[in-house]
Amino acid sequence: MNGTLIRLTARQLLGQKRTVLLLLFGLVPVLIAVLYRVAGNDEPQRWAASALNARLIIGTFLPLAALVFGTAALGSEFEDGTAVYILSKPIPRRVIVLSKLLVSWLATAGVVLAATVVATIIALWGEPRDGILVGFALAVVAGALVYCALFMWLSVLTSRALIVGLLYVFIWEGVITRLFAGVRFFSVRQYTLGIADTVVDVPARVFNPRLGEMEAVALATITTALTVYLAVRRLRRWEIGEAS
Amino acid sequence: MPPADQRTGSIYDLGYRRYDGLRLGRQHAVLSLYVYTLRGAFGIGRRASSKIIPIIITVIAFLPALIQLGVAAIVSDEVDIIRPENYFGFVQVPVALFCAAIAPEITGRDMRQRTLSLYFSRALERRDYALAKLAAFATALMVLTLAPQALLLVGNGLASKDLADYVGDNWKDMPRTIISGVGIAAAMGAVALAIAAQTSRRAYATIAVVAWFLVTWPISGILVAEVGGAGRAAALLSPFDFVYGATLWVFDVEPDQDSVQDLAEIPLWGYGAAVAAYAAAGTALVIRRFGRIAA
Repeated sequence: MNGTLIRLTARQLLGQKRTVLLLLFGLVPVLIAVLYRVAGNDEPQRWAASALNARLIIGTFLPLAALVFGTAALGSEFEDGTAVYILSKPIPRRVIVLSKLLVSWLATAGVVLAATVVATIIALWGEPRDGILVGFALAVVAGALVYCALFMWLSVLTSRALIVGLLYVFIWEGVITRLFAGVRFFSVRQYTLGIADTVVDVPARVFNPRLGEMEAVALATITTALTVYLAVRRLRRWEIGEAS
Repeated sequence: MPPADQRTGSIYDLGYRRYDGLRLGRQHAVLSLYVYTLRGAFGIGRRASSKIIPIIITVIAFLPALIQLGVAAIVSDEVDIIRPENYFGFVQVPVALFCAAIAPEITGRDMRQRTLSLYFSRALERRDYALAKLAAFATALMVLTLAPQALLLVGNGLASKDLADYVGDNWKDMPRTIISGVGIAAAMGAVALAIAAQTSRRAYATIAVVAWFLVTWPISGILVAEVGGAGRAAALLSPFDFVYGATLWVFDVEPDQDSVQDLAEIPLWGYGAAVAAYAAAGTALVIRRFGRIAA
């Protein structure tokens, strides 16, 4: 880890205007939870777990936030042509990738975790939580790391990482995983839901992820390690003058 | 002793010449911009890496038609799995992705490379520029909405026993298909372009377009299904929902039980009006943006 790099990346990612927009973005699930409670429906547990957290937050907000931060942390350096100033310094590639990953992870997890906690508390106001709050809070923090590592690798691989990431999230995870059950082993969304299940303690009717707990944790760890390794390897082979 | 270099001090009169050739004028400029923008949307005439993404998204839009034709070829006759309105329900996803990926290219490229001043110093007016870009982008989206259905119609016709019979049976769907396809392309394309034109940074434009599609969608779903009352009007907020409603209206089909359009209880023509309103608003915003932008 490199302090200067972390500080610079944080300043780059969390500009004033961008932070305000992201907080507004984080308010959407909270607003939806408030509206849901105002309408007063039955089965709030099932709604909070399967609709609010699994579909809305983990299915849409977490990958979108991770896409913004994960691809920008390193990708925007390539786009702006400033990558060469970092890569020509005697800093190990591993340190560069890990520092950038740390900042984008914290930024993503911060926004999504705040939204998850507040929205879930509101959605389950006066209801038993049965680990839904803690489980999904843990899941979004872990999922943010896996997504950020994956998207950071994409951003050193291609200059269109944002679009490739969108295709991955909404076509691969959204459509193909629904059609072909075996693909669940290659879907970060399913890993995240599986991780939530390690703490969430509700009947399968309320929340039923498609991956086992241990499988999810193992696959998430492997994916993170592998994508970080691949990103470092790609940077090692990078030559000055080469566009990303 | 040889004289000094003869060339020193000699001035050539190169002259500035008038152009006496044919001037093709404003109309031709608009048409050229349209054609080049349309080609650029699919990466034609650009390097290979700009072709990959539009082609992948276009292939996704064609997949159900290709699968259906494959099934029809193997199982043979009278398998009519996909209705045109259902195809539109599916094709909205690739259309949205295409908007997110390509709209920033269409508007942002000239802003980033500061070529707008070159365009505006020619016969082309600012409004022409905006309209040509809009028309080209809408046409590109129509390739996604209409071409798969055309393929399906022709392919199914050829697979059926009697081509004339098949065309006769499905003839009445044709104008509806075209209206729907054009409507989807116009509404989604105009608004996506209006959003993307606000910034020259590709990444920001993509995220903003995606946010329009994906943030309004769950909001509409929950407001309509769980909250009800005045919240049902939210069905008009989410592009996926109002565009699909308009398709149902065009095909005169009742919405599925418990779908957003069923629960919202908005008369179906309202979605048609929404599509027209969004297309008009998006067009106006794009024209306004390029009318004011510093070139």
